[in-house]
Amino acid sequence: MNAAIHHTSLGRRDSDPVRKPAAYFTLVAALAIVTSIPTGAVPALGQAVATDVRQHVETLASDEFEGRLTGSEGASLAADYIISQLRSMGAAPVPGQASFRMPFEFTSGVIDTGSSLTLRGEVFDGDPVLQGAEVLQGLPFSDNGEVSGSVVFAGYGITVPPGQDYPYDSYANLDVEDKVVLVLRHSPEDVEREMRATLSSYSGLRRKAMRARELGAKALLVVTGPRSLNAGKIANVRFDSAASGGSGILAASISGDVADKVFTAVPNGSLEQIQEDLDAGNPHAAGFDIPGLEVTLDIAIERETDTGYNVVGFLPASNDTSGVEPAKPYVLLGAHYDHLGRGRSGNSMARGDEIGEIHYGADDNASGVAALLSAGVTLAGMNRDRAVVLAFWSGEEMGVLGSTAFVEEPPVPLDQVIGYINFDMVGRVVDNKLTVQAVGSSDIWPRLIEQSNVPVGFDLQIQEDPYLPTDSSSFNNAGIPNISMFTGTHEDYHRPADLPEDINYEGLESVARFGALIGYRLANLSEVPAFVQVARSAGQQMGGGDAARAWTGTIPDFGGEVEGLRLGGVMEGGPAAEAGLQQGDVIIEFADQQITNIYDYTYALESVKVDEPVKVVYLRDGERYETVLTPRVRQ
Amino acid sequence: MNYLARLIIANPVASSHLGYDVMGANPSTPPRQMAYNLGNNRGTSSGAEPFSGPTVPTWISDLESRFPRYQVDMVVRRSKLSAKPVYVLLLAALLLPFAGLLAQADGPPSGQQTNESDQYDESVLLSRIRQLTFEGRRAGEGYFSPDGSQMVFQTERVEGNPYFQIYLMDMLTGETRRVSPGQGKTTCAFINPVTGDIEFASTHHDPRSLEYQQAELEFRASGQEHRMAWDYDPEMEIYVADAETGELTRLTDVRGYDAEGSYSPDGEWIVFASTRDAYNRELNEEEKSALEVDPSYFSEIYIMRADGSEQTRLTNVPGYDGGPFFSPDGKKIVWRQFDEGGLLADVWTMDPDGSNPHRVTDFGAMSWAPYVHPSGQYVLFASNKLGFSNFEVFMVDVEGEKEPVRVTTTDGFDGLPVPTPDGKTLVWTSTRYGAEGRQTGQLFTADWNHEKALELLEQAPPRKSHSGSQ
Repeated sequence: MNAAIHHTSLGRRDSDPVRKPAAYFTLVAALAIVTSIPTGAVPALGQAVATDVRQHVETLASDEFEGRLTGSEGASLAADYIISQLRSMGAAPVPGQASFRMPFEFTSGVIDTGSSLTLRGEVFDGDPVLQGAEVLQGLPFSDNGEVSGSVVFAGYGITVPPGQDYPYDSYANLDVEDKVVLVLRHSPEDVEREMRATLSSYSGLRRKAMRARELGAKALLVVTGPRSLNAGKIANVRFDSAASGGSGILAASISGDVADKVFTAVPNGSLEQIQEDLDAGNPHAAGFDIPGLEVTLDIAIERETDTGYNVVGFLPASNDTSGVEPAKPYVLLGAHYDHLGRGRSGNSMARGDEIGEIHYGADDNASGVAALLSAGVTLAGMNRDRAVVLAFWSGEEMGVLGSTAFVEEPPVPLDQVIGYINFDMVGRVVDNKLTVQAVGSSDIWPRLIEQSNVPVGFDLQIQEDPYLPTDSSSFNNAGIPNISMFTGTHEDYHRPADLPEDINYEGLESVARFGALIGYRLANLSEVPAFVQVARSAGQQMGGGDAARAWTGTIPDFGGEVEGLRLGGVMEGGPAAEAGLQQGDVIIEFADQQITNIYDYTYALESVKVDEPVKVVYLRDGERYETVLTPRVRQ
Repeated sequence: MNYLARLIIANPVASSHLGYDVMGANPSTPPRQMAYNLGNNRGTSSGAEPFSGPTVPTWISDLESRFPRYQVDMVVRRSKLSAKPVYVLLLAALLLPFAGLLAQADGPPSGQQTNESDQYDESVLLSRIRQLTFEGRRAGEGYFSPDGSQMVFQTERVEGNPYFQIYLMDMLTGETRRVSPGQGKTTCAFINPVTGDIEFASTHHDPRSLEYQQAELEFRASGQEHRMAWDYDPEMEIYVADAETGELTRLTDVRGYDAEGSYSPDGEWIVFASTRDAYNRELNEEEKSALEVDPSYFSEIYIMRADGSEQTRLTNVPGYDGGPFFSPDGKKIVWRQFDEGGLLADVWTMDPDGSNPHRVTDFGAMSWAPYVHPSGQYVLFASNKLGFSNFEVFMVDVEGEKEPVRVTTTDGFDGLPVPTPDGKTLVWTSTRYGAEGRQTGQLFTADWNHEKALELLEQAPPRKSHSGSQ
């Protein structure tokens, strides 16, 4: 498609200094349709052309691309495909960049290469050196090195900041400076439900390590208490790419046997008895120095790094604009192209015989890539005062790594970016619905959304919240107005069953057109919209607990703004399914807590306990129902 | 079964409140006066003195809590439904045994799925329902140019002005632009079908308008919310904005609220509502008190030439007449007539010279905002027939021989229905997506099934008499 032909047909070279946006835009809107058709007649406005987006999805979600795991050969093939598409629309690498590919390093794994713990004290025969994966492992976020010191037991190692409903401090009256802190994993189990929820949300291992560091401790040892699930076992902490890296403290998980050895130094000491007291909610009695014991902790972990590639294309501003450079001359649109590979690490939800199969990620997020490519073609053919940057992220599934790297080392100055439009899971338009998220990040969005949707006609669901598990959050953190398009979660989410045949291609093409129109308006906006810092709700401020202990088998739908928590699906055979819950049900009460949004729900989940039934009140087709759900240990 | 009985059955807990507290209230207080007090206590319109009267009786807040959906910042067309009539209605239900009002109203209370018209879902008539406007706190009253390419509407989008201003939307591109000056209150715009000029009512000439805006903003900042910031401002005058230049010409200059205007199909006439009768003659004591309570009582339908000449009164019945529109053939005017008590409203038609007034609905509810479908065969309107919390769009055959048929079936406010000129799309105001504190009206649109509408109208039972009138 030759964009120049369209430029002249728009008549934008008129010397008329007063724009006539309506008339002008009529042409452009029509053009938006024309440019997406390879050949043939101009379809009526509103009629989507889905040929290209289908090709993009079917290609990216084919066997050959093997689920596009960041750093893999499949991801590289996907990058090649995207680059070929960028070339054909006339995009170039960002000025100053040699290539469309923009590399970033990421931690692909952590291995313990021989951490050890040495106990020294009168009660020990010799000085036992404890080593080996069964007894001791450095935590993934630990620093390397060796420290020695006396040991302080600090209960669950939890501090709930003052001002919360349930003030709690495992460190009250304890001096841990320059010492090694030993804490229990998780949080007290037998306290009342709401308190349990609060404590649980401060029980993350990383949070516990940060707290110990804050108080001057040299190291943190964690043991899974005798009364907890997986008692005595080494914490099998899931490697978390986004949260890896030095934490400024040594931290290790030790086995129950090691802890027992430590407690032999405590007269009449029984960890089980101590934990029982703690579990009853008596926090402040527990902390004490372990007498006559010195330890040396040596942490030796290696982080394996790998390289991921964002693919970034650039469409310069139209050369027939007024000649005056607009304020903030870049518009940024993005979609991640990575997915889970075969789901061997990270957050696969594959079941049974699906495990180890290719996770095709047709909706997540071949659909977003297709929408962005299609929007790029449209934008390439439109007159724009601003340049458009088309970014295809990698590392999203590992924790928005690619967009984070972009924000850290931006190829164009971030303070010159007027706004960011994200596409993540936009392939399953149902009932003409599209959710636009993060709308609270700028006051400009409602206007651009309204104007852009008039010709497209989605039944839009508006969501203000910008704190999203997708790349737009990287730009929200950077203070850039951002929105994200989303068509909702579903049962195939993060499973090999997320396939091209379940994509609504007409809907997808409409998403592309809608996004292009918003991008077009951003590209020609005369004013610069302000970024709005949306306040995080209490639920969002929670650091999150140590990998949810209880499993409900619900799949929350992050889209829409219903009062309550709408289920995008339930896990087959899971507790929610057994309780009779279905996709589309709206949970309004869970474990005696009112649920008005996803954060309430997350918070409520913290309070539940394995095998302890909870009442669930939900709406189905507007009718209110109650059921009982019994959480289990995640399989 | 009457309305109150159903309400009590539906809300058994409420019955004791009703019984006890209504007795406790002073039943001799005229409903209008009580309602006025209550309405005022919720906050007066801008510029007025804060009300310092008695506190709201608890049964009112109890009742409100049963109708949380009504806590919306409604966009109200033409009828300019203030909080007052709403409270009057709430009150009417409570006082039913005493006042005997609404005695024959037989609509089920909100939320009950007992009405025959609930047998079907709104998707029968409306498909691809979607929100049309998003910018600004609220929007409403969309009216179209004859080719459907332009829609004029009112919305709160001007920074520092908490009142509606008039905007024009290009329905092809979505481009919007403001038509009104940006200052003061405006309402009720309409596009001249021939010239493209836009008429609307505005108070921008009032030197106090900025002061009013500030007061309203401060009131909002205090955390309170008006139910409806409408006060039949006697400064409201009708203007016309030139289609080409945007230049404004003032068409009315008589003291009194002049608004709710719309053009005849040939663009030669504007039919509108005015309370000028209250300000331009000597009122007796009773009327003076009525004016204080509710100026809309004096609103009557007028007609004038598109240039503002030949202003002529068409109606002469006590009670609020408003919201007039021409039928598509220009031979009739449809409007909404409140009864003298300001409690019930029905849809009427008349000839453009005021002759042949004809009752179209006798629905025993507040039925308002009528607009004739371009086919000329039926009238779309809104009614609280199903409860205060749940205004819905209805339709009725243009002669009013049948009972109205329900159109929308979603909770919350649905009203101010306007079909596009091709008759294939409906635009209306709804609070249906009002989650997260955004329970304000916005314009919605959907594809309209005209054939199905005719079918349902055909099947509707003959009109019942709720008012006892003919």
